[in-house]
Amino acid sequence: MTNLTLLTFLPLVGALLLGIVPGRDARVLRGVALGVTTVVGAMGIALLVAFDGSLAGAQFVQQVEWFELGDTTVHYQLGVDGISILLVALTAVIMPFVTLSTAGHIQERVREFLVWLLVMETGMLGVFLAGDLVLFYFFWEVSLVPLYFMVGIWGAERRLYATLKFFLYTLAGSLMMLVAVIALVYGAQADPGSPVLTTDLAALTDWAARQSLATQSWLFTGFALAFAIKVPLVPFHTWLADAHTQAPTSGSVILAAVLLKMGTYGLLRFGIGMFPAAAVAAAPLFMGLGALGIVYGALLAMAQTDVKRLIACSSVSHLGFVVLGMFALTQAGMRGSVLQMVNHGLSTGLLFLLFGALYERRHSRAIDQYGGVASVMPVFAFFWTFSMLASVGLPGLNGFVGEWLILLGTFQASPLLAAVAVTGVILGAVYLLMATRKLLFGPVLHPETQRLGDLSPREIGIVAPLCALCLWIGVAPNGLLDKTTASIDALLVRVEGARAELRTSRLELPGPAAPLPAEEDAVR
Amino acid sequence: MNAEQLRAFFDADAAAAVSPLLAITSGVVLLLVAEVIPGLARLRSLIVVATLAGALFCEQRILQSPPGSVLGGTYVADGTSAAWGLLFLASTFVAWVYGRHYYRTNRTFLGEHDLLLLTTPMGMMMMAGARDLTVFFVGLELLSIPLYCLAAFRRQRNDSVEAGVKYSVLGAFSVGIFLYGAALLYTATGTLSLAELGTAVAEGLSPLGIAGVALIAASLFFKLSIFPFHLWVPDVYQGAPTPVTILMATGTKAAVLAFLLSVTFLLPPTSAALIGTLALLTMAAGNLGALVQSDVKRMLAYSGVAHAGTVLLVAAAARASGGALDEAAGRAALYYMAAYVFTAGGAFGVISWLEADGEHFTALESLRGLARRRPGVAAALALFMLSLGGIPATGGFLGKWFVFAVTVNAGLMPLAVIGVLLSVVALGYYLRVVVAMYMQPAPEGLAPPTTRRDSATFATAFCASMVLLLGLVPGPFLDVF
Repeated sequence: MTNLTLLTFLPLVGALLLGIVPGRDARVLRGVALGVTTVVGAMGIALLVAFDGSLAGAQFVQQVEWFELGDTTVHYQLGVDGISILLVALTAVIMPFVTLSTAGHIQERVREFLVWLLVMETGMLGVFLAGDLVLFYFFWEVSLVPLYFMVGIWGAERRLYATLKFFLYTLAGSLMMLVAVIALVYGAQADPGSPVLTTDLAALTDWAARQSLATQSWLFTGFALAFAIKVPLVPFHTWLADAHTQAPTSGSVILAAVLLKMGTYGLLRFGIGMFPAAAVAAAPLFMGLGALGIVYGALLAMAQTDVKRLIACSSVSHLGFVVLGMFALTQAGMRGSVLQMVNHGLSTGLLFLLFGALYERRHSRAIDQYGGVASVMPVFAFFWTFSMLASVGLPGLNGFVGEWLILLGTFQASPLLAAVAVTGVILGAVYLLMATRKLLFGPVLHPETQRLGDLSPREIGIVAPLCALCLWIGVAPNGLLDKTTASIDALLVRVEGARAELRTSRLELPGPAAPLPAEEDAVR
Repeated sequence: MNAEQLRAFFDADAAAAVSPLLAITSGVVLLLVAEVIPGLARLRSLIVVATLAGALFCEQRILQSPPGSVLGGTYVADGTSAAWGLLFLASTFVAWVYGRHYYRTNRTFLGEHDLLLLTTPMGMMMMAGARDLTVFFVGLELLSIPLYCLAAFRRQRNDSVEAGVKYSVLGAFSVGIFLYGAALLYTATGTLSLAELGTAVAEGLSPLGIAGVALIAASLFFKLSIFPFHLWVPDVYQGAPTPVTILMATGTKAAVLAFLLSVTFLLPPTSAALIGTLALLTMAAGNLGALVQSDVKRMLAYSGVAHAGTVLLVAAAARASGGALDEAAGRAALYYMAAYVFTAGGAFGVISWLEADGEHFTALESLRGLARRRPGVAAALALFMLSLGGIPATGGFLGKWFVFAVTVNAGLMPLAVIGVLLSVVALGYYLRVVVAMYMQPAPEGLAPPTTRRDSATFATAFCASMVLLLGLVPGPFLDVF
């Protein structure tokens, strides 16, 4: 059950299977896709249970030689560690629910959609599991393609614009990363002292972390640009609102729950893990952008009249928290940030799923088209309120734990930014409660609303387990947090080493001269 | 030259080195004979395939045991030139197979068509293996003259004739420039052999010689469609019969590139920045030109210009490193062009397929809804578009990787960064094709496709699998290159 290759490529096999299933019966096709994603989900949970949180390195590693780049060997290598385990489990667990939700909003070209959904799952799992830089880049860029089709074919009225913007925006970032990846691989290969003749992530990480601040900084820039666009951090966030709004429900859920996490995951593993010195130097910038994103995203959300756009802007705000916590470079901040990735995936995914259910009934995203929904759809109102509170961070639900840890960690690094971030929490409550009031409560404003039917058993079956997960994480987060401890501690050791080195080099050599080799060694 | 010398000139190695050329020549002769003897014309396809297979076999043997420099040092048959040779054969094969479908309804002069087509890989091989400017010139003419005829092969269509005339006039012009450059270089150095030119360049060229080098570079850039010598490309590529366009876009460019990489030493080391700038300008001109096209064939022509710019980065890198990266640059160019042969070959091929099947226009609009009408064809074309755009899991990605790797290794970081950003622009128009096929409804009143299965299906499947193999299992290809 812990065969990572099987886990990664089972969805792809499912996609091929879908290609040959005869007939046009959508139920059969959905059944196949659901079966595959459910098996993958079960494997994800089994992996989470089997994973040993007290070890820092990659576990369940599988490695085969792939091809040679000059002297460097590229491996097909998968592995999972404390940074990726939660995201792998999240991806595997959420996909069956996404598949189940397609019955509501995908009526045309069902087979194609399900194929893209499964290809997407392989791409996303591959990104989190790749233990080789080239393989990572492969999965990273390949995972762009399915969403491009999902938004472009099954999206809303401005889908072509949104999908092209999404694709080109993220591709521009990815290609910046490509240049950095190439420079890193060949730089490590040509290192006269200790050449690294593999693109293995662990080996390259060790090599990169030893480089001077200048080298690290520009490599970091290439990587961080790609991830910052994917997250998205504030100046790069404009693609997200369009993509989220125009995507079909299941596309929005995947985007919110998993795809954006590829950005934050990358920042943590590559940004901070590979280039600790550069990360220490850039931490104030990223913390500032994170805090800016929290407040700006919240203000944007407050001004939206389109519900999906509102949820998208709330994502910008929530992911600001994740970046802020991560670049606080403290244990609490990082743990909170890893947990918050999962939390955001669950609660924002839930909001998109629920609003999708409403949209299928009423076909409008404008918030003023609703009102008084609670009186006709009480079950919906319950689940919406629950998910909304999880998103706001009500104590006892998952969002609280993550935000608390992040704020704690941030306070240790910068009390001022922690204060700014807390305003974001308040603003978050404001816009989400306001939106909920306009949607659910008050008098029924439109006669169409009166005729809406409540959630079907299928829809309850989608949201109830996810809500239960939110509650479980809120009450007992330690089970998940413990899985990440050793890896995050190892990351922090690296960061502290870089911090100490930076400090000594600044103290001892105020001039522009580089530290002498002997001193450098002593510091290490 | 007495008999003894002559025997030394044509030794066993020389025979092995020219064996691919001999194989093709015998094929051409057989074709000629088959055309005049009644009843034998049926064997034409068999002869073409057997000839290409024979040449492939000979190149394969050279790959295993390279004879090296032969014929008095004017021609070289080593692993690299043999690998290029494989590409030329593949390009010819793809063009020929698509051509079989393309000329399905209009079968006049097909014998002449195949004859001309089969002559071109010979020219390409001579160009790639040339170590003497005269040999290169002969190869160039051997390639160009059949292409002039082939470009005008659909005589009843004005644009085809126009393409042929434009191509031959401008081609003759560029050949003239090449000869002028070679003459100046000969005046300055007293030799046309590349090896001797190498020593002359190391000692420093006179202004006359430098002028010669510049003229030679301009004529090569013309054939390779480098800015500002790229303006003929869209008209000619669009007007020529599409299978011929495959040959012009893939094989011809590969041959010129192969030779260009073996003469980069002629350029002064300081010219790296100039070549790099030209490469970027070419990418920009190609991409911006392609962005505004509404005809797929013309768009692919501009995209070909952009790809030529990308691969020229390799030459800039080779020059910037002062020869240290020559081998890596050659391998990168080979991989890039290998991916391009199958990707662009497949893309132009699919267009030729649709053209011949009654979807008789190449406008982007006519591709609308293709995914519903012919899902397999649409999927293949989408794959080619993604490969042209350099998305991983396709050969285009690894080609791009190797090219930018050489550029980065040569320390040309700004070129690499601007280059990758320009390739983002490229995705803008490749995706428009995908959008039309998958995301827009079919136009009204479209005639249903007339055929489904034949040689074009095979060629498309072949190109698509090669694109995927180059992207996913690069090991065997890297061994060859």
